[in-house]
Amino acid sequence: MAAVLQAERLVKAFRGTPAVDGVDLRVHAGERVALLGPNGAGKTTTLLMLLGVITPDAGAVELMGQHLPAGRSAALAQVGFAAGYLPLTERLRVREFLTMYGQLYGLAHPGPAIAEALERFRAPDLAEAMGTELSSGQRTLIGIVKATLHRPRLLVLDEPTASLDPDVALHVRMGLLKMCDELGTALLVTSHNMLEVERLCERVVFLSRGRVVADGPPASVVATFGRADLEEAFLHVAGLSGSAVVGAQETDRPA
Amino acid sequence: MTAVGLDWLRVRAIARRHAFVLRRSPHRLFDVTIWPLVDTLLFGSLAVFVSRRGGNGSVAFGYLLSGIVLWHVVYQSQIAVSTGFLEETWSRNLLNLMVTPLREVEYVAGVALFGMVKLAMGVGVVALGAEILFAFDLTRLGWQVLPVAVVLLAVGWVIALFVIGLVLRFGSGAEALAWGILFLVMPLSGVFYPVAALPAVARPIALALPTTHAFAAERAVVDGHGMRWGELGLAGLTTVVMAAAGLVFLAWMLATFRRRGYITRYS
Repeated sequence: MAAVLQAERLVKAFRGTPAVDGVDLRVHAGERVALLGPNGAGKTTTLLMLLGVITPDAGAVELMGQHLPAGRSAALAQVGFAAGYLPLTERLRVREFLTMYGQLYGLAHPGPAIAEALERFRAPDLAEAMGTELSSGQRTLIGIVKATLHRPRLLVLDEPTASLDPDVALHVRMGLLKMCDELGTALLVTSHNMLEVERLCERVVFLSRGRVVADGPPASVVATFGRADLEEAFLHVAGLSGSAVVGAQETDRPA
Repeated sequence: MTAVGLDWLRVRAIARRHAFVLRRSPHRLFDVTIWPLVDTLLFGSLAVFVSRRGGNGSVAFGYLLSGIVLWHVVYQSQIAVSTGFLEETWSRNLLNLMVTPLREVEYVAGVALFGMVKLAMGVGVVALGAEILFAFDLTRLGWQVLPVAVVLLAVGWVIALFVIGLVLRFGSGAEALAWGILFLVMPLSGVFYPVAALPAVARPIALALPTTHAFAAERAVVDGHGMRWGELGLAGLTTVVMAAAGLVFLAWMLATFRRRGYITRYS
């Protein structure tokens, strides 16, 4: 299978503090991968480097066969991104918001794609709402709809279901799995919900202190750490990084 | 559709987004209605007062009113692009945009495209206010005012590039420059008076600004001497130089923004 994303020896430090320290990552077409790790492990910084938003200090990224940063625009035309912490564009109705992003992704007439994507995530009733009228969970849901409008070959999701009710999170998960199966979309997702990761992803990559400490199928990674499940493996890695003791120190966020 | 390196679908999407912002934020209309009208009232009244003092008062009347109308070309084009970008920072929308195929030049083109609508509104209000309140008809200056306006439009966009660059680098602390930078440029540009009226120390700076030469060319038209093409050419040339510097500066600030991970300020 061809790689849709290939990162080699990514390094990033902020004011001398290492955030990402030599990360190698390859995601193949249709593969569903979780990027896991405690707060401050370097997940978001890694994702933003993979998308060309942050420039790495060292290393190389090839996205959709395009080398970044030169091929950023061409590569991102085939990538979708959503994050639980991102707001909707203000002063727009949901349909206007989705139309704008559909056009940014090259859809001259995005209407049918909007209807299909809203249906996929069971959110057609939100189409005419103003962004400011939505709950945080609904905004997150519409963010995911936005990221899937153009049928991306790679979907990158940063904490996609963090603010969703369990039933909505279930719809999102089902919608994502359906899309990945039907379109062969690859998935790269960060999450702190290990149950969700086990249900959604066939491979997990654990980061700790900016380094990959495990990479493989969930069961194999769990076995590597000698734990009962992914949750325990996560806590083990968090303990290794010290974040279970000192709490959520956001070393991956520049000051 | 791609032409001149731009994807017009993306450019139009950005322009449309900013049209919604103006439509749904009535207070944004202040920039294109109230403030232009206040400026017209202020400088128009000043013009009337000076003209009634006799001497060359009638000349000053023309300088002040034509000056304020054309100054609003710079003001509106600069403010439209600067505040268009600031809108993305205020609504934490930058990351949403940066993970799409949208290129920087397409973003600026989209904001500038809708900025033309705001420009037409703002300058229209000033020109109409000058006509109705002070019986000053800008069209009597003739078509020669058009190339001056084109240069001033470009200068406004170029100043906006510097403002965006500074906001990328320094964050919200630099937002005040969107409005404040024009208070620096305006007196140095000889909008209402020749450069000779400035203190000697300020004249070299004034002469380096394209706006200074554009307004000098415009005053010659007001005086009835016809267009001073040399001044206009100088205005065009300095605009090109300033635009090149603005693009280099913006690219530099954007690289710094990406390298230092400043996107986290807005996500």
